[in-house]
Amino acid sequence: MRRALSNTTIADRILFFILIVVSCAGMFYSRDALSQGTDVVIEVGGKSVYATSLDANREIPVEGTHGRAIVEIRDGKIRMKEARCDNHICMKQGWITQGTIVCLPNSIVVITGGGLNKDVDAVTG
Amino acid sequence: MKKISVAVSTILILAAFLSCSRQDDSVYKKSMPLMDTIVSITVVADSKEIAEKAMAEAFGKIDRFGNRVNFYSEKSELSEINRNAGIRRTTVSPETLDVIEKAVHASEKSRGAFDPTIGPIVKLWNFADKKMPSDKEIKHALPLVNYRDIIVDTNASTVLLRKEGMMLDLGGIAKGYAADMAVDTLLKEGIRSGLVSVAGDIRTFGLKPDSKPWTIGIKNPRQTGTKDEIIAKARLTDTAISTSGDYERYFISDGKRYHHLLDPKTGFPAGTCRSVSIVSDKAADTDAFSTAVFVLGPDRGMKLATDLGMEALIIDINGNMHSTDGLKEKLSFEKGP
Amino acid sequence: MQLQDKYRVAILSAYALALHGFEAMLPSPIPWLRVGLANIITLTALLLFDFRTALMITLIRVILGSLFTGTFLGPSFILSLGGGVCGTCSMGIMLLMSRKLFGPVGLSLIGALFHNAAQLFLAHWLFIQRIEAVLFISPLIILIGTITGFMNGIVAEILVKNLLKKESDSLHNVAQA
Repeated sequence: MRRALSNTTIADRILFFILIVVSCAGMFYSRDALSQGTDVVIEVGGKSVYATSLDANREIPVEGTHGRAIVEIRDGKIRMKEARCDNHICMKQGWITQGTIVCLPNSIVVITGGGLNKDVDAVTG
Repeated sequence: MKKISVAVSTILILAAFLSCSRQDDSVYKKSMPLMDTIVSITVVADSKEIAEKAMAEAFGKIDRFGNRVNFYSEKSELSEINRNAGIRRTTVSPETLDVIEKAVHASEKSRGAFDPTIGPIVKLWNFADKKMPSDKEIKHALPLVNYRDIIVDTNASTVLLRKEGMMLDLGGIAKGYAADMAVDTLLKEGIRSGLVSVAGDIRTFGLKPDSKPWTIGIKNPRQTGTKDEIIAKARLTDTAISTSGDYERYFISDGKRYHHLLDPKTGFPAGTCRSVSIVSDKAADTDAFSTAVFVLGPDRGMKLATDLGMEALIIDINGNMHSTDGLKEKLSFEKGP
Repeated sequence: MQLQDKYRVAILSAYALALHGFEAMLPSPIPWLRVGLANIITLTALLLFDFRTALMITLIRVILGSLFTGTFLGPSFILSLGGGVCGTCSMGIMLLMSRKLFGPVGLSLIGALFHNAAQLFLAHWLFIQRIEAVLFISPLIILIGTITGFMNGIVAEILVKNLLKKESDSLHNVAQA
């Protein structure tokens, strides 16, 4: 194993370094870019089907393309409680307060954290 | 040497990204489903505790008020007034009295373009099921629509609807009124800057931490995507803004759009505007008059706004934008409709 | 293709499928993408044999894998296909340009990068219209891809060495016999 490690070329190491640095930096940046916000938007197939807030404790049934899913909000956190998909990757994400939960097979996207309309403080209309 | 320079540049890159973080820790925002819509309160406060307490008080006030004036709930004071129509006076709480008086005032000033007695007509339309009333049903209900038949006794705190079958619907003013109430509560709690949005009826006060006014986005009446498309941004402080639009509740039948902004004189949707945004001191006024101006149309509506000293942005049925001069300074446009 | 080549492709594809299936059964603490163990086979094939073989193995793995799990032509199939093809092609092209610049580790990193990039792009184009959502998860996916790409590269290198050794040993034996 160690021999294999020392056999790496300079290009290998530089590439590794760059990728690690860029992806870590990207993570810091995207964490900041989503400012504090409690808005929640649930979309199915690109269409907004539900808009609510992390402050409203509730279970929301969502019709995905493959069947029903349940999104749960509790204590300022949100998760995909149930979904009809193969890997249940979306469910394994657990509770989040910022960011997105995606269930690809169902085309369901749950977006939370004020990154929805950053340049205005409120919307009228 | 090479290793050191790689390490240094790594640290520099990381530092650069970290320093891009934003510093608005003192702005707190919370949203709640109340009054059958989403109410959002944003405040500038010194601590989370102060912000939470003030917001909780404000939300509570809105909730209690909302229950009193809920058109669709039998237990509300509003429903009691409607049940007693043509029969007896109803004693109401001070805020309910106040909002009804403001509604009557708006009706007088708009000469009936805004009229809260439109309740019977509202009940005939069903936008969820795409149900349109017949001309006969409308004709039958129209005589019941007349704000002059609202009798308010301020001293006794009573309201009477003169004719049996009359119904008050405060939907065109209650949300704005609630926003004003919330702001008063926040001020009482010591908050000096923030904004309250009750489904798009917004009241702002104070300035943001960076000493700039609040930026309010005005929705594009004909947005095609699902994301909120902003057609104009207004920079406001210590003012309120409301928007009435033909895209909020509607259905399309035979190529024609039927929306929820009904003309009290005809019982049918007003057809000359796509959206109207009104800016004034109080949200109760902007709420009521955005409806009135919408019904009156671009010409008469604009005149009413300017006569009353309010700023207006009217997007007419063809998509052309008309704006009062005072508002032009505060607006920045994103793109053409 | 010669009989021996077909034989190789079949065996390697079987290994690739097995790895893919095994990986799918693993409980994953990080729910996003898979470690991409099958890429070890792809890379090994690329280094030992040629691009064509590697590409074939990838296609067979993706198509059969999705048929077995019943997700053929579904979204995960499309993502697997796009990612797999882009990853394999990127490694092949890099090898074409220079056999000496990158070792197996570097190639694996490149393959992983293009694999993930293609998947993110496809996910945005076809499924998740919200660019913020895709951009939000991209850094983490690239990070995980880099780490697993690194490990895959090491394993592939060991594998290649051992296989070459076996072959040269057996040739040696043949020559001596």
